[in-house]
Amino acid sequence: MDTSILARFVRLHDRRGWTAFGACAVLLLLVLPLTLPDYLVPLLGKFLCFAIAAIAIDLIWGFTGILSLGHGVFFALGGYAIGMYLMLEIGTAGVYRSNLPDFMVFLDWKELPWFWRGFDNFGFAVLMALLVPGVIAFVFGYFAFRSRIRGVYFSIITQALTYAAMLLFFRNETGFGGNNGLTDFKHIYGYSLSDPATKTGLFVISGAALLLVYLGSRYLVCSKLGRVLRAVRDDEAKVRFMGYDPLRYKLFVWTLSAVLCGLAGALYVPQVGIINPGEMQPAASIEMAIWVAVGGRGTLFGAAAGALVVNGAKSVFTGLAPELWLYVLGATFVLIPVLAPRGIAAYGGVLAQLLRGRRAVADTPRPPEPDREAEESVVTEGSAEVRP
Amino acid sequence: MTTPRKTQRGSARQQVSRTVDPARYDDVRSRGVLLCVDNVSVSFDGFKALNNLSLLLEEGELRCLIGPNGAGKTTLQDVITGKTRPDSGSVFLVGDPRELTLLSEHEIARLGIGRKFQKPTVFAEHTVLENLELALAGGKGVFGSLWRALRGEQRERIDEVLRIIGLVEHASRPAGALSHGQKQWLEIGMLLAQDPRVLLIDEPVAGMTHQEMERTAELLDGLAGKHTVVVVEHDMDFVRSIARRVTVLHEGSVLAEGSMDQVQRDPRVVEVYLGESC
Repeated sequence: MDTSILARFVRLHDRRGWTAFGACAVLLLLVLPLTLPDYLVPLLGKFLCFAIAAIAIDLIWGFTGILSLGHGVFFALGGYAIGMYLMLEIGTAGVYRSNLPDFMVFLDWKELPWFWRGFDNFGFAVLMALLVPGVIAFVFGYFAFRSRIRGVYFSIITQALTYAAMLLFFRNETGFGGNNGLTDFKHIYGYSLSDPATKTGLFVISGAALLLVYLGSRYLVCSKLGRVLRAVRDDEAKVRFMGYDPLRYKLFVWTLSAVLCGLAGALYVPQVGIINPGEMQPAASIEMAIWVAVGGRGTLFGAAAGALVVNGAKSVFTGLAPELWLYVLGATFVLIPVLAPRGIAAYGGVLAQLLRGRRAVADTPRPPEPDREAEESVVTEGSAEVRP
Repeated sequence: MTTPRKTQRGSARQQVSRTVDPARYDDVRSRGVLLCVDNVSVSFDGFKALNNLSLLLEEGELRCLIGPNGAGKTTLQDVITGKTRPDSGSVFLVGDPRELTLLSEHEIARLGIGRKFQKPTVFAEHTVLENLELALAGGKGVFGSLWRALRGEQRERIDEVLRIIGLVEHASRPAGALSHGQKQWLEIGMLLAQDPRVLLIDEPVAGMTHQEMERTAELLDGLAGKHTVVVVEHDMDFVRSIARRVTVLHEGSVLAEGSMDQVQRDPRVVEVYLGESC
């Protein structure tokens, strides 16, 4: 058996899986950018960013059993980093014709705060969009995991984290535009943000990023590291007695997940044109967990699909009957664990089997699935790790 | 990286040096001793779970630990594997200067002390093969496990273990689908793959059928010699069938030690097991 990295990469999917992946790639990078009406491009591009965030959450929740209800903070930090670049890129084209961003002029600030320096450089801003969420997640995770905080307790602390960050960013003195956040962007890397071609370009970049994040994550969960992560999820004490240090594994995937979320946020902001502390609301992070629960935990593509489906439904419902959306979302959260404990990804599998016919089903006997229902019921309690 | 443990810790923890004075094991080394538990005490809320317990385990021996409930059998294993820190005393491997009571669980495991819990704990959603792969000695770092694939000799070692525990045809089944006895063997197999110097096994035949018990006795017998095996067991017939040397614990200390016949004739052991009325 060839064990080189490349050979292992090819084995990530069987032929059918690669065909499906190729079809998605053609759809995202070619068909949709050419055929979508202009007004839909930023909307779907936004969904692609949510799908990246969903994969990031699936890595930590579905595979490692750590439910984060605070990933919105990493998403927002990535978004703010790019937002700062976009603010400085406005230059003197703002309302006050000043070198400083408008909100600083409004606050009567005379010069750029020190932590805004360097953000006029695009590369630096992109680096910070990944690094800042990563460093914060690393420090937070180190202390949380070192103290062996687990399950629902960890989830609650992540809620507190994002809530605290939101309060901090709401303050004008913090220097990120207060509750208005950063907006009114004009250009990115010299391209006008109002130009449909730029929007399509951002869509294609988001699609490519989604495909790469998916493949990288798939490689990770198929490696021995992925098996250790699932082992940590199922029985952390046993993993420890086998000579692994779960702290390092959890810290690695937690930090990686935050970085990916930062990437998603960085791609999101230029497409929606605004970033404000609303993204750090506790409810926003919970909604991200719902995407993954709906899509199916521990499947990666299910998580991405869940983000697309839930947000698609949200767009439709908030258009048709805005006052009903929260009821729909709540009902989804209640019904999904009952009707589809493994998420819509499970139905994808059923559908594929129906298409293939019964012969194929007989060829690949599925291993009996362990009883997930008891575990799934805790979704509503907000924890994935209440295991005996 | 040392991690603090969410474990019971005595308030009056004595100062213990990080390394073990080589002179301390000069006398035991000559007797072929591998693991030395020296004067260990543990108390939980005033209850003395271990009371100045000392125990010497020889290289390659098969030792049975017996004793009534609350004698400290499980606590002793917890101390040796780093789950519980003792109030006083010391645990060390002869020839290794590190004080085990100061290390964390995974560090002790890497030094070659394996443990099997009473309940079969295998990873139910991983296949039998993956369970063994995870247990395999070496390569327990994060980045190594991200990039490295199973090497040929590692694969051979897994196949060998699969043959020993008799689960070759179950290799690609999820471990959760195995029978109770098969799970126990898989767990013993995982310990084999871990290739520890000392194996602590808690009640390996609880809930097993007679045939499974016999098979387990064979397995454990095969392990001794290459490894130092410590078996904690309640089933006296089983202990009689495998034990060469038996240590009886009572109220946190060693009450008697010797062959099964010797300890069974010991009036103190009889008293502890049958009550003072006898």
